Amino acid sequence: MTHVIFTLTRVEAAHLADLVGQFQALVENSEGDPAVDRLTPDVYPDDAEASREFRSVTRDDLLGRRAHDAATVAADLARIETASVNEALSPVDVSIADLEPWLRTLSAIRLVLASRLGIADGAEHDEDDPAYGLYEWLGYRLEGLIQVAENEI
Amino acid sequence: MTTLTNPDTDERLELAPDVPWQTVVWDDPVNLMSYVVRIFREYFGFSHDIATKRMLEVHHDGHAVVAEGAREQMELHAQAMHNYGLWATVRKAPQ
Repeated sequence: MTHVIFTLTRVEAAHLADLVGQFQALVENSEGDPAVDRLTPDVYPDDAEASREFRSVTRDDLLGRRAHDAATVAADLARIETASVNEALSPVDVSIADLEPWLRTLSAIRLVLASRLGIADGAEHDEDDPAYGLYEWLGYRLEGLIQVAENEI
Repeated sequence: MTTLTNPDTDERLELAPDVPWQTVVWDDPVNLMSYVVRIFREYFGFSHDIATKRMLEVHHDGHAVVAEGAREQMELHAQAMHNYGLWATVRKAPQ
């Protein structure tokens, strides 16, 4: 396990906690949501029946893992002490005992946002959409965490 | 007369093993290249060079074969890739 200190501004940490909370709700009540289907893709693209069978065996396990990972991230973020709104731009350290759930959760949230934004299927997306900024920001923060992890291998 | 130890049959068995399945990872516009390299290193134990080569295959060719073997094993690999958020499928190896 890789223990790291992740430094964010407080307003980022609050946004992240909010996103992770929404993601937890999504994976726990996900029936028929195409964004969640991306987290459990068709394993046999030319064989719908075999894909269905595979998904019926793996889906609950995969979504259970997403929920478990997200709960770990939420718990790490919840350890941040609250501060006044004046402190929004001040840095705060998040102590991460295990980086892997963070990498998987941030990646999964980006997949969901990409699906909502139409990025995943190559459709035109509006780069002025504020959600696109959120998606890019998550990518930037995820890249930073990956670089930290690379230095640990 | 055909015997049970027909050498022709034995040879064919060697040429066509009973494990012609592959795990394939497909390109998507979302997952970061550095993330894909990390997963390939972590999960498959690839060196940094091999992991990067496979990731670039995914990126430029649209997909890469990351494992070959028995069907059940390929399904396990695909499920592991799904666990990381990668888009992985299983197929019969092209003959």
